[in-house]
Amino acid sequence: MTPNSTLISRSSSYTTTPDVKTLIGRLNDGLNRILLGKDQQVKMALACLFARGHLLIEDLPGMGKTLLSHALAKALGLSYNRIQFTSDVLPSDVIGTSVFDRESGDFRFVEGPLFAQVVLADEINRATPKSQSALLEAMEERQVTSDGVTRPLPKPFFVIATQNPATQTGTFPLPESQLDRFLMRIELGYPEPDAERELLKTGDRRKSLELMDTIANLEGLEKIQHAVDAVKVSDPLIEYVQRLVSHTRRAGEFAFGLSPRGALALLQSARAWALICDRGHVVPEDVQAVLPSVVEHRLREAADYAGHGGGALAQKLLTSVDVVG
Amino acid sequence: MDSPKGKAALGVAYQIPRNTLALLMIAQVVVIVPYLLHLSPWLIAVGLFSGYWRTRVYQGVWDYPGRLVKAVLVVASIAAVVLSGIEGFSLEAVSSLLIIAFALKLIEMKNRRDAYLVIFLSYFVIAIQFLFDQSILMALYELVAIVVVTAAMVGLNQLHTQVRPLVSLKLAGALVVQALPFTIVVFLLFPRIAPLWSVPLPNSSTTGISDELTPGDIASLTQSDEPAFRVIFDGERPPSSELYWRGLVYSEFDQGTWRVGPRLLPQAPRVSLEDGLRYAVLLEPTFRNWLFALDLAEPGTNSVRPTRDFRLEASEPVLSVFRYEVRSDPRGLLDPGVLPEFIRIRETAIDPTSNPRLTEFARSLWQQTGSAVAFTEAVLRSIRQEEYFYTLQPPTYTGAGTIDQFWFDGRAGFCTHYAGALVYMLRVAGIPARMVGGYQGGELNPITGHLIIRQYDAHAWAEVWQPETGWQRVDPTAAVAPARIEQGLSAALSAADRSSLSIFSNARIGDWAIAGSLLELIDSVELRWNLWVVGFDGNVQSGLLKSLLGELTPARVGMAMLGGGGLSLIVVLIVLFWRRRTLPRHPVELAFSRFAARLAAQGYPRRPEESPSGFVTRIASQVGLSDAQVGGVIAELDTLLYNPSVAWGNAELKQLKRQLRRLQFRLAFGATR
Repeated sequence: MTPNSTLISRSSSYTTTPDVKTLIGRLNDGLNRILLGKDQQVKMALACLFARGHLLIEDLPGMGKTLLSHALAKALGLSYNRIQFTSDVLPSDVIGTSVFDRESGDFRFVEGPLFAQVVLADEINRATPKSQSALLEAMEERQVTSDGVTRPLPKPFFVIATQNPATQTGTFPLPESQLDRFLMRIELGYPEPDAERELLKTGDRRKSLELMDTIANLEGLEKIQHAVDAVKVSDPLIEYVQRLVSHTRRAGEFAFGLSPRGALALLQSARAWALICDRGHVVPEDVQAVLPSVVEHRLREAADYAGHGGGALAQKLLTSVDVVG
Repeated sequence: MDSPKGKAALGVAYQIPRNTLALLMIAQVVVIVPYLLHLSPWLIAVGLFSGYWRTRVYQGVWDYPGRLVKAVLVVASIAAVVLSGIEGFSLEAVSSLLIIAFALKLIEMKNRRDAYLVIFLSYFVIAIQFLFDQSILMALYELVAIVVVTAAMVGLNQLHTQVRPLVSLKLAGALVVQALPFTIVVFLLFPRIAPLWSVPLPNSSTTGISDELTPGDIASLTQSDEPAFRVIFDGERPPSSELYWRGLVYSEFDQGTWRVGPRLLPQAPRVSLEDGLRYAVLLEPTFRNWLFALDLAEPGTNSVRPTRDFRLEASEPVLSVFRYEVRSDPRGLLDPGVLPEFIRIRETAIDPTSNPRLTEFARSLWQQTGSAVAFTEAVLRSIRQEEYFYTLQPPTYTGAGTIDQFWFDGRAGFCTHYAGALVYMLRVAGIPARMVGGYQGGELNPITGHLIIRQYDAHAWAEVWQPETGWQRVDPTAAVAPARIEQGLSAALSAADRSSLSIFSNARIGDWAIAGSLLELIDSVELRWNLWVVGFDGNVQSGLLKSLLGELTPARVGMAMLGGGGLSLIVVLIVLFWRRRTLPRHPVELAFSRFAARLAAQGYPRRPEESPSGFVTRIASQVGLSDAQVGGVIAELDTLLYNPSVAWGNAELKQLKRQLRRLQFRLAFGATR
């Protein structure tokens, strides 16, 4: 049983404002039409953006990572740039560079692909650490500095990064400190047989992406983000989140515990998830739903020296912490 | 050690962690520092040298000392102690050796075993310090030192990779604080065993009255504001001018110096007083036997006995603050009636040729007056009426006839000069007279109501014997400077004298009101420390134990120690549990947990990751209950627990409990069916 598939309709003493609710519904539907059979992942990606977080999509090539990010940008009506990372991409290729303008006799800053509301950093782990950190600095500060001038990035600023699993050749795995900056990491996975048959019948999804209409605008997105902040959290739930976090710090199977930033990320994602599920308050199932996506890339098994085994850890964490204190 | 390489791990385990080495060195410094007050400064050089060597060893520049070097160092340090002029087998000599060995151990310390040795030695060095000084400030300092040493020990037990000195210090502090209750119990109850061997005394120059009195002695004592003793009166307190704290009787005069003279036979007169002043004295260490009390004194403490000349003496030299009870009757007479012949001879012995001019003066005065009372009066009158001055800086009287020089030429002196001249004249006239040394006056501390007598209250006066009155006190200083007796030393001094006192002496600081009351506060804290901690000796302890336990048997004391120790540990336990207590549980969570526990007993266990509503939902669908039957409970659980925008009170809680109970019965019924 997936944690959020409660059979019963929950009490809805609070409902989101109708336009927020319909907007979320339309976004969800629109994206699901592009990305077949991935409604869970689509919801998670939406939750991540509603919670103002950056998203990391990790999967094998050809699973629809780029498609999802492109569809998200288009559905939200945001400016969109794509950076294809390779091992010879330099920071100036990402941020931009100053060029000499012969007419004015001065240097002029040419903005790099980073100056967009949604940036797709494709195959981020193929870039060298130097270029990775140029992007990741921008994610944290939401501004870039070049030639001593600090320039703000557009608002909102989302980075959707995709990466191939670290076991693939020619990759530079992101260190823990940089992984921590992504609110969520999701995997798309192979499509279900039904969805795959449908895909084979209809052909390349990029065509339908071109036909897709813009669903929301900047104003609508901001409204949704404010609605996320307004989702209420009760004391028993805060205690549950705290128990989860402190378990990762105390239990021996984790190499290190979740940071306070990780705990905040967990709660904020749960809020966004509650809003998507049309609820004005967070219930434990919301926390459990977002938990794997939020914590797995932040945790490491004590026995796992190399990298992010992830997977089973979130499940272990869930089953070993009692919802009721 | 979780390293797979067993041998390497073993090597690491026996090494001293880097930060712990630093902490150990700091601990050593902290422990040695107070000794600098008592021991010669070249010991610091040895300590610094060892520290430098150890640092070089750590840096890998130098090597540990070889066998020969070590032997040379040991011989050299013993020789240095012997040559540095410390007397024989004294406490200074022994502790100097200890400190040198302690410092040199640093360059010999290689593995954990050595580090433990240094740590245990540090505790020992801390304990030895109390042989020198038991003041409250030192006690507080050594408490800090104990924390630092304990932190070094904690650090030694941390993993090589996780040495954090601040954490060690914090843990050590917590350990020491937790040990305090048990320390108090042991302090109160552990038997005060008499020492099995005698501890060598510190032979540092002691301040205070000595058994030889040259006229300059007391003047130099006035440079010191060290407390001499404190007195707590039980009941009324006589006026300051009556407080003559008698300590020593000087019977022999020779070449300007007064000496106590040969010991009198210990047949003390039986003094037994019905009423009078009752008080307790807390004497600072003097390293001598004599005690101070008001006339006529009867000791109330076992180890204190009266002497033939009506003084009090302790059976052992006073090495730490000594508390004794006294009862005094100011109207009591000393040796009235007939003076035994050997005392008469002793107290009239004088060499009349030593100060010929004064001898002449006294003889002519005796012919004019004829009686002891009139003679004394006449001497005092001439002091009062003629040009005599009271000063701390009299001209130096040297060579033969010092009293002559004072009386006829200088005419300026201190209490010893006047009292000495009076006793000399009385003895020339054949009247038994003697010099008495002690302290006069004292300051009242308004906070605790006790008197503090400081070194600058040191005083000397005369005693004259008459058949009717016995030994009678005569104080010529009262004639020349009445203010000295009435208001204390600082009132009697000229401006020049006062400025000669050291800058921090109380006589000057006390002029400012705030500083004065601060000094009083410090003094009353010291009194309580002396009264309750340092003065808590075997006598006081057995008194306390008797009032606590009734009869004193080893079994009872043992039981009391066990009980008290257990109690003190329980206090620590309670504190620990209180700090780890769980937060009060949410009432709905509590109600649900009970419900879930009952359901688990009925065969419906809940998985920890299931939320309350999720659990009920699963059970309902498992058993086949309809949405109508459980929907209310589920909604209620969700709302009360997780929706803070819905207000609820006791009524809702009760209703939820009722619903849960009903559901439980329904399930029990369903299960049996």
